Amino acid sequence: MADVRIEGISKYFGDFGAVKEVSTVFEEGTVTVLLGPSGCGKTTLMRMIVGLETPTTGSVMIGDTDVTRVPTNKRQIGMVFQYPVIYRGTTVARNLELPLIAAKMDSSARKKRIDEMAEIIGLTDVLETNVDRLDNAGRQKVAVAREVARQPEVLLFDEPITNVDLTSKLELKRSLKQLFTELRQTIIYVTHDQTEAMSLADKIALMNTGRIVQLDAPRVVYDRPDDVFAGWFLGSPGMNFLRTGFVVEGSSLHSPLLASPISVGAEAQHATTMGIRPEQLTASLEEQPDHVRAEIVDKAITIGGRMLLGVKVQDLEIKAVVEHDIGKNASSSIWIKLPRENLHLFDAHDRKIEAGLQSVG
Amino acid sequence: MTSPIHDSPVVLPEENAPSKRNDKERRLTISGVIAWIVALIFFAPIFWIFLAALKTDNTILAYPPKFIFTPTLENFAALITKPNVGLYFFNSVFLSVGSVAIAIVVSYLAAYSFSRFKPAGTDFLMFLLLSTRFVPAAAFVIPFFQLFGILNFKDSYVGLLIFYVMFSVPFSVWILKGFIDGVSQRFDETGLVNGASRAHVIFKVVLPQVKPGLVAAFVFNIIFVWNEFLFNFQLGGRNTSTIPVALFTSLYDGGATNWPYVASLGTAYVLPLAILIFFFQKYLLVGMTFGTVRGEV
Repeated sequence: MADVRIEGISKYFGDFGAVKEVSTVFEEGTVTVLLGPSGCGKTTLMRMIVGLETPTTGSVMIGDTDVTRVPTNKRQIGMVFQYPVIYRGTTVARNLELPLIAAKMDSSARKKRIDEMAEIIGLTDVLETNVDRLDNAGRQKVAVAREVARQPEVLLFDEPITNVDLTSKLELKRSLKQLFTELRQTIIYVTHDQTEAMSLADKIALMNTGRIVQLDAPRVVYDRPDDVFAGWFLGSPGMNFLRTGFVVEGSSLHSPLLASPISVGAEAQHATTMGIRPEQLTASLEEQPDHVRAEIVDKAITIGGRMLLGVKVQDLEIKAVVEHDIGKNASSSIWIKLPRENLHLFDAHDRKIEAGLQSVG
Repeated sequence: MTSPIHDSPVVLPEENAPSKRNDKERRLTISGVIAWIVALIFFAPIFWIFLAALKTDNTILAYPPKFIFTPTLENFAALITKPNVGLYFFNSVFLSVGSVAIAIVVSYLAAYSFSRFKPAGTDFLMFLLLSTRFVPAAAFVIPFFQLFGILNFKDSYVGLLIFYVMFSVPFSVWILKGFIDGVSQRFDETGLVNGASRAHVIFKVVLPQVKPGLVAAFVFNIIFVWNEFLFNFQLGGRNTSTIPVALFTSLYDGGATNWPYVASLGTAYVLPLAILIFFFQKYLLVGMTFGTVRGEV
């Protein structure tokens, strides 16, 4: 087991920069999820770590070894791809065994390792089944178990559950979670699915246009987005952003969305955007202190028994996720409050401004 | 009031089906009959050679042709005792199997490189490769004759092997590239990640998945080389003649065409290939479409 350090790594395909000057550390024994929209460079970054792409600039270190010029087959990395890659026409056990034979492990040790792996990932019952008879989720489990059984220094997963049908997805996700917990391996996991990232990650490395924009624990990325992109990408729906409709005067922030001005730090002067997550505002059917009246302009059911509303205060329209009862019983308006600790301010470069907002409450 | 749905004429599929089925059956029968007629016309010369091989010298050219006669294997017995016939067979088998086998190894590696590493100008190179087969063979005869003279390759196995390998590579690369493209690169990558060498990936991971392509390329090119006449005639000689050339050069015997010899050698020449094609015919379609139509292989 080892950590993975990447230093100033870039990959250009012609003029197109897929990954730009990324430096970061994927800590030992940690599940780091590379999360980002399609085409943000997360897969390219992963392929450079495993050696399937050569970086244009920069270096990759696994532990204390610089592996930038080391061929893939000498890197001691395991990788699971989006489509399950298995050795067809043979049994599950044989699939797990082949790399171990290549690694010259003796037969009793192989047997023991295979049984352990099958136990952890839930393949014990199908060990002697031909892999062709398994569904995609089963095959992907085989691919995962095969990579893990080799006990590489680092394990990479490239969207391993994207191509699995919905019912098996949850089960596979649960198996992976259990596996990750038991292994305590250095794992880098690529996905564009935020719920997958939130449930599997120890840390999320959020990527956008070839750069890592934030690397933090999932809750931190969600609660304290470093920039507008992080606020928008995480959450469903993403954060509300207001480019107008608020002013900072001295140490107070005024807005029609706030019943009374709130105190902010001096840095708030530079704020050009105010953000609030739709699910983090409070709503009520009756008039409450500190709440403002908002007109309902749109109603839609969301998952999880909560309701997504479009509400409007003066000419400021925002999304609000409210308790189902409130959404259902509200006629034309509700009362909302934007809690101070859930407000976010961003500067002209879309970067977070602390302004002392989250420190209180 | 009736709904518009009831007003509109309803076509019941059950009522209509039998006549449609009859139509279809009739069409199938007619096309079947036509196919048989065409097949018989094409097969007639081969049938004539087969029959002739079993007739005696004076019944072969009898007019009207005799369809009822006592078959004899005399001609084949005579064929075996003829000088050089064994050599012609050896040459045909050795040159076709040998050159196609070499060509397939070369083509597989080339196709793998084109498919996976995509060197600059891959499309153009692929076109160039195939373009050598667009040009009529007759245009190459003189240059090759001179080239083989300079290289001292005339009437040598090495020279003819090289020529037939060159002859077989373009189609094989095309067929095999189609097949290798169909194997996801993730297989190669998983192999490499699992610690395998590139050679292991090429021969143990990808090769087993393109076996039908290898068979198709083999069968397709064997037919070409087995039937090749012009270049063997020009570049070969006494020691390296294949059966097609032998059929032509030893046609005359004692001032007349030796029909029993031609018929028996012709039959013996056609049979191995006919058997091969019978068993591997589904791969022919693959070959003729460069691996784009794979059907059941």
